[in-house]
Amino acid sequence: MDSERTEEYLEAIYKEQSKGDSASTSFLARDLGVSQPAVTDMLKNLENKGLIDYQSSKGAKLTDIGVERALGVIRRHRLWERFLTDVLGMKWDKVHEVACKLEHLDVPEVEERLAVILGDTDTCPHGHSIPDQKGNIKEEKTLPLASFQPLQRVNILAIDEGDSELLRGIEEKGLKPQVVVIILKKNEDGSLELEAGKKRIRLSAKLAAVLLAEPVAIHQPDVVKETTPLSKLVAGHSGILKEYTGERSLLGRCLSLGFTPGSVVKMLENFNNGPVLVKVHDTQIALGRDLADHISVTRQENE
Amino acid sequence: MSEQTKEKTITVALAGAPNVGKSTVFNLLTGLSQHVGNWPGKTVEQKTGVLRRGNLTMNIVDLPGTYSLTANSAEEQIARDFLIKENPDVVVAVLNAASLERNLYLVAELIELSPRLVIALNMMDVAQQQGMKINAKALAEELNIPAIPIAASKNQGLDELLTTIEREFSQPPGSRELKHIEYGSEIKKTIDHVEQLMDDSISAPYPKHWTAMKLLEGDAQINKMIMERVSTGQSTELDAYLRENEAAAVTIAILRYTWVEKMMAVTQEKPPLGRVSLTEKIDRAATHPILGLFILLMVLGLIFGLVYSIGIPIQKFLDVHLIQKGRTLVNTSLPGVPTWVRSLLANGILSGVGTVLTFVPILVFFFAAWAFMEDVGYMARAAFVTDRFMHLLGLHGKSVLPLALGFGCNVPAILGTRIIDSPRSRLMTIIVAPLVPCTGRMAVITLIATAFFGRAAIFVSIGIVIFSLIMLIITGLIMNRFVVGGEDSALLMELPLYHLPNPRIIGLVTWQNTMAFIKRAGTIILVVSLVIWVLATVPHGDINTSLLAHIGRLLEPVGRLMGFNWQVMVALLSSFIAKENTIATLGTLIGGQGTSLTIQLKALLTPASALAFLVVQVLFIPCIATLVAIRHETKTWRWPLFTVAYQLVLSFVMAIIVFKSYAYFK
Repeated sequence: MDSERTEEYLEAIYKEQSKGDSASTSFLARDLGVSQPAVTDMLKNLENKGLIDYQSSKGAKLTDIGVERALGVIRRHRLWERFLTDVLGMKWDKVHEVACKLEHLDVPEVEERLAVILGDTDTCPHGHSIPDQKGNIKEEKTLPLASFQPLQRVNILAIDEGDSELLRGIEEKGLKPQVVVIILKKNEDGSLELEAGKKRIRLSAKLAAVLLAEPVAIHQPDVVKETTPLSKLVAGHSGILKEYTGERSLLGRCLSLGFTPGSVVKMLENFNNGPVLVKVHDTQIALGRDLADHISVTRQENE
Repeated sequence: MSEQTKEKTITVALAGAPNVGKSTVFNLLTGLSQHVGNWPGKTVEQKTGVLRRGNLTMNIVDLPGTYSLTANSAEEQIARDFLIKENPDVVVAVLNAASLERNLYLVAELIELSPRLVIALNMMDVAQQQGMKINAKALAEELNIPAIPIAASKNQGLDELLTTIEREFSQPPGSRELKHIEYGSEIKKTIDHVEQLMDDSISAPYPKHWTAMKLLEGDAQINKMIMERVSTGQSTELDAYLRENEAAAVTIAILRYTWVEKMMAVTQEKPPLGRVSLTEKIDRAATHPILGLFILLMVLGLIFGLVYSIGIPIQKFLDVHLIQKGRTLVNTSLPGVPTWVRSLLANGILSGVGTVLTFVPILVFFFAAWAFMEDVGYMARAAFVTDRFMHLLGLHGKSVLPLALGFGCNVPAILGTRIIDSPRSRLMTIIVAPLVPCTGRMAVITLIATAFFGRAAIFVSIGIVIFSLIMLIITGLIMNRFVVGGEDSALLMELPLYHLPNPRIIGLVTWQNTMAFIKRAGTIILVVSLVIWVLATVPHGDINTSLLAHIGRLLEPVGRLMGFNWQVMVALLSSFIAKENTIATLGTLIGGQGTSLTIQLKALLTPASALAFLVVQVLFIPCIATLVAIRHETKTWRWPLFTVAYQLVLSFVMAIIVFKSYAYFK
């Protein structure tokens, strides 16, 4: 019992610490569902065991021994999750809670067998890396979906949450690790519109914050939406920049001036065959008509 | 000597995009200690200055304003070559706090070169006015680079900036770990692959990883360099791979902007108020296709009005009181001095260089008006509204500015073409600029027109100016079509936010331009004045029997086609030194006592030949100073010689047509 509590704490501190912060008592109280005084007591206890460094003003940080123990728990947790889905065929939104119980079973032989059965799996069903036996873990370099720009293609790598309702919501949308999506639009309320497969999906701000992804190079323009040359945009209207098809020598210049795919371009001045004046990334830029002919945009509905 | 008192000299480079107030920072730091020259082999201005602070001497180098470090232009190449090859001790990135999003892109690129970096967040005052709250500390922490808030136009924060530069310099190199941008595993793999396709030291002096990235970004200069260095087999493979991964350039840029946005989220605590900015309000009129042109005409009208109502009277005053009185003084009050020395002083130096210098007040007005428009941000608008017309002539929107300057003097017009970033449009502008009638020509035209056409003189003068501009347009059309090769490049420029003019900057720019002009007058124009004086003096000291007169007589048959005798031809030739010399030469050649120049002129020319003379005068070959400027800017004799030949033919043909048709219709 005592060791279970300890491990819960170490796991929670590790997760917070890997985001770059030390874990505060208030965070731990919330995360583990206990009172703050109880947390303080426990942290002092853990410090005495040499597992953490604790300062009441800053919070708790794991010592090297603490990290080692935490990674052991995390390894078992994620291995069990994998086992539950892949071998026992459970749904991914249920396995977290079960694994929380199984992770405390610290029998090296069980752990070893588990790893053998699962083969060379290196992530849990939610996409997080599984630490190896020596306690090495692959660093995850991901950003929440919400921080990418429209028209960026991203590969979903992990889900930052074990809550089963959220996970079900994500599954219903057809999203899971290793699915490539294209962000189509960012709404005012933080929700996103995505294209996955050939489907268009709307994602609430809450979901957009827990889905972690990395950018993917754009190979083919496969967003099926009508585009128009920038030069055809009427003054006052905006479009989302799609691609530049003109001279390659001017590409770098356009990019550095802010004409990147996904940027919102607002037409300010467009008069028969003269140059046009647009606003992009908060700057007014004049560009010749021939150049504007070679920049394609998708019209934005006027809001 | 102890460590403390040891003198130290360091190099500090200022990097930043155009319109961030970088030159203001530079000017404030270096004041009048600055040296303006050219970057080696380039016509891009190089500004350096020295600042002393205790035992520390800072050599400050103002890098050309660039949006990125991918070499799309000479400016960008210079900036990054300086950073890589000269390895300055400290690099200061000057950013505009009011439009950070765009400016951080350059920082993203600078970090890749890992210099000792200090960020100067300029225009904090402007950002505040717009309701923004910028947290410089947060940015500094996020980047692990010191970021100093400054307001250069108000002289705020510069001392802290200097202290920070000094402190950063005192730290051992590499002691700050710069946070590089995460490009994600896919792009990383691509970059690694490009690196593998290159041999180890092939990219020297550029870092290999950086070179690989620039190759992917489609950097023309790096591409050319590497392709020349690798073997044929390698280059084919590399080229194929780069083509296959063309999209990487876009992805890299997007990732930089994603990074920028992350930095923005940390730094910009309050976004600008959503209200329509003053700039946008003004621009509704200033960039309007019709209203904007009207405003431009008004602005130019105002400048010319000022120049003609104040500058020209000053020029006349100087001419009468300095040059003419000076000549009299030289001729009368130096009794012991031989005649030829007096003649040299009076006719050679005073008439030549002296007269050119009397135009300095007019130029000061033009330079100041020019600097003012540039400083408040109007220049870019003027370029925008004229671009549609300029484009037809193969010129660039920005061409309108040097051309307008040409009305003052063609020399600064030629030098001013540097602001045009397309080489072709720049050359085109240089070719047509001498057809803008400068004040020197206007002085001659006004005088001759007044002598012959009385009340109609003003209309004749205006008519000649319009005629000259029509010739300019025709020349542009012809050159664009038949003479100058290459593709026309597109307009692509930022319209900066308007801001209040900074008198200090305007003063400094005016001062530099004026000094450059005076220096030119003191060297090349002096030499040529002397040559002409010699030609007009040898062998007998009498202009009527001089070499110049011989040349004039040789040309007389051509002159007769326009109704000119040899004196008029010589007067025309002397405009080669300086356009206004025509009058002085005519004065010398037909100089009698007692009668005014007007009456003498009437004896020399008929109204028909006078009109022809106006035409030939306004179109004649550019003065020597202009030709030298053309040579200097095009780096070849081809274009000055072409200009001489073209304008010689053009002016004579047009004058003959005018002369013959005038006689025909009479």
